[in-house]
Amino acid sequence: MTTSESAAAGIVVEGVSRAFGEVKAVRAATFTAAAGTVTGLIGPNGSGKTTLMLMLASLLKPDAGHITIAGFDPTVDPAAVRSRLGWMPDVLGSWSALTVRSTLEYTGRLYRQDRQSAARRASELIDLVGLEALADSPTRVLSRGQKQKLSLARALVHDPAVLLLDEPASGLDPAARVELRTLVRRVAGEGKTVLISSHVLAELDEMADSAVYLANGVTASKESVARAQAGVRAWRIKSSDDAGLVRALNGAGFGVDALTHERGEVMIPLGSETEASTLLATLVAGGVPISTFAPAVGDLEQTFLGLNAEDQP
Amino acid sequence: MSAFLVGIGVIVSLELRQRVRTVAWYVLIGVFVALVAIVTVLLKIALGGFGADNSGGAIFSAIIYFVLLLGTLVAPALSGNAINGDRDAGTLATTQVTLVTTWQLILGKFLAAWVTALAFLAAAIPFLIYAALEGGISGTAILVSVLVLAIELGVVAAIGVGLSGILSRPLFSVAVTYLVVAALSVGTLIAFALGGLSVQSDVRATTSYATSYSSTGQPEQCGAPQTTNYPVPRFDYFWGVLVANPYVLLADAVPTAYEAEGYPTDLFGNIKLGVRQAQLPPDFTTNYDECAGDSFQAAFETPREIIDRTTPGWFVGLIIHLVLASGALVWAWSRTRTPAAQLARGSRVA
Repeated sequence: MTTSESAAAGIVVEGVSRAFGEVKAVRAATFTAAAGTVTGLIGPNGSGKTTLMLMLASLLKPDAGHITIAGFDPTVDPAAVRSRLGWMPDVLGSWSALTVRSTLEYTGRLYRQDRQSAARRASELIDLVGLEALADSPTRVLSRGQKQKLSLARALVHDPAVLLLDEPASGLDPAARVELRTLVRRVAGEGKTVLISSHVLAELDEMADSAVYLANGVTASKESVARAQAGVRAWRIKSSDDAGLVRALNGAGFGVDALTHERGEVMIPLGSETEASTLLATLVAGGVPISTFAPAVGDLEQTFLGLNAEDQP
Repeated sequence: MSAFLVGIGVIVSLELRQRVRTVAWYVLIGVFVALVAIVTVLLKIALGGFGADNSGGAIFSAIIYFVLLLGTLVAPALSGNAINGDRDAGTLATTQVTLVTTWQLILGKFLAAWVTALAFLAAAIPFLIYAALEGGISGTAILVSVLVLAIELGVVAAIGVGLSGILSRPLFSVAVTYLVVAALSVGTLIAFALGGLSVQSDVRATTSYATSYSSTGQPEQCGAPQTTNYPVPRFDYFWGVLVANPYVLLADAVPTAYEAEGYPTDLFGNIKLGVRQAQLPPDFTTNYDECAGDSFQAAFETPREIIDRTTPGWFVGLIIHLVLASGALVWAWSRTRTPAAQLARGSRVA
C-alpha cells in the first residue's frame, strides 16, 4: 500500500473550519492519519479538539474544508462513514437502566446487526475490555473507568476501520491504561486508523506513531513542529557521585548557572540529540557513574510546549 | 420487514426499556386502575340514586374522559424530554453515529411515548367493557371513542417528542408540552367564553300583550306593540375555537344515541349538543303578539334536530391536531439532523 492509498483509507482533513456563532472553534485544520497507524491529536483545553472530533464523527457539518473518512465524505454520505467509523466521545453517557451486555447488543442492533450477531459481538467485546464481572449489571452502577471501557467497547461494536477516541484514558487506572495501549496498538496492527486525543502526553508518546498539534483551532504546520522539536530541551542526569558529575559537567563547559538540581537529578539544557550523545560519551569516558541520562519531557510534550511558547507574542 | 421499520423497532424497544419499564411506572398504572375503579363505583352509586336507567352510558363517557385526562397528564412527562434528555445524558450522539437515521430515531421515540400512553387506555379496558355492556352502547360509539382517544394521546406524545427536539432544556420542553395540553384543554374554553361574551349584538324584541281577556281566558284586545333592545353574547362567532379542544372533539366525534324525545343518552351527546347550539346565531328580531296566539316556544327544535343540522367540527379539530403533531415532529427532525449545520445557542451535539 502506498502512502497516499493508506491515507485515503484513513482520515484526510483539508482546511476544515467550524464556528459557533462568534466563536471560531476550529479555524484551519489540515492533517492526514494513515491506515495502520495511531495518530495523536494534541492541543490545550479549548483548542477545538472535540469540535474537530465531532466533525470527523459525522455529527457536525464543517463551515468550510473537506473531510474524508475511509474514503467517504461525512457530509455527503454519513451512512457510509458511520458504518466504518467508531467514535468514543469525551462525554460518558450510557443507557442507565440497561445492562452492559444489552447496551452493546442494542448498539449492534442500531448498526443493523441481527440479534444473534449482536449478542455474539457483545460477548466478545465484554471479554475484550474486561467487563465480564459486570456484564449483567445495569450501567448506572459502573465507575468512571468502567464506563470508559464500555464506551470503548461500544465504539468497536461494528469492527470499524477508523477509530476516533476522545480522551480515552481519563479515569483509567494504570493497569487499564496499559490494556488500552495494547488494544490500540493491536487495532492499528490490523490495518485500521486510530486517532486519539489526550491530555496525557507521556501516554500518547508510547502509543502514537505521529501527532497532530492543534492550537486555537489551527493545526501546526510541519515546519513549526520541526522548529519546536529542534529547540533546546532539558535532559536529566543521575549519578551516584553527584559532586563528581557536577565537576565533570563544569569541565565539559556547562557553568553552575546552567544546572538545576531536582529530586537528586541534575537537569541540563541541550540543543540536540547529537549534543546529548557527545556529552554522555564525555561523562562516561571521564569515569562518572551515570545511572540515568534521558530527556526530561517526552517528544510530544516537548513539541507541545515548544509550539505553545512560539504562540505567545 | 424493511430495514427502516426494524430500526424504528429497535429504538422503540430501547426507549421502553430505558425510560418506561421501571417500578414507578407500574405503580402509576396501578394507581390509575384504582382511580378508574373508584370513579366507576361512585358514578354507579350516584347515577343509581337518580333512578337513571342508563347509567352505563354516563359511566362509559366518564371513563373515556378520565383516560384522556390522565393520558394527557402523563404523556408530556414521558415524551417531553425524549430527545433533549438523551442529549443531556450523553446518549443521543452515540446513537446518532450509528446507522439509525434521524427519522427512525424520532419516530421510534414518538411510538414509544404513544405506546406508553396507550397502556393507560389498555388498563381501563375492563371498566370500559363493563360500562358498555351496562349502557348498551353501540359498537360504533365504542370504536369511535376509543379510536379518537388513542389518536389524541398520540397527538400529545408527538407534541412532547417534537418539543423535546426543538427546545434544548428538558425541564423547559416538558413544561411547554404541558402548556400546549393546557392551552388546548382549558385555553380553548376560556377563549370561547371570553370571546363570546366580549362580542355582543343587540336583539330587538317587539311584544304586544293582551289588555283584556274573555271569560274563557282568551286574549280579546292587545295593546300597542312595545319594542325593547338588549344585548346577547355571540358565541356563534367563536364556536370554531372549541373544535381544537380534545374533550369537545371526542364528544363531537362519537355518534350519539337518542331517547325517543330526541335527547342524547350520554355525557358525550349532551356536550355535543351544547357545542352545536353555540353554532346557532341568536334571533335578532323577536316578535310576540299575544292576540295572534304566538307561543314563546313556537320554534322549538329537539336536540337531535339541532345536532343534525349543525356542522360537525370534530374532524377540523382532528386535522388541526394532526398538523400540530406532525409539524412538531418535522421541526424536531430538522433540529436533530446530523451532520448538524446549526446548533441552538448554548447547546452542544454531544
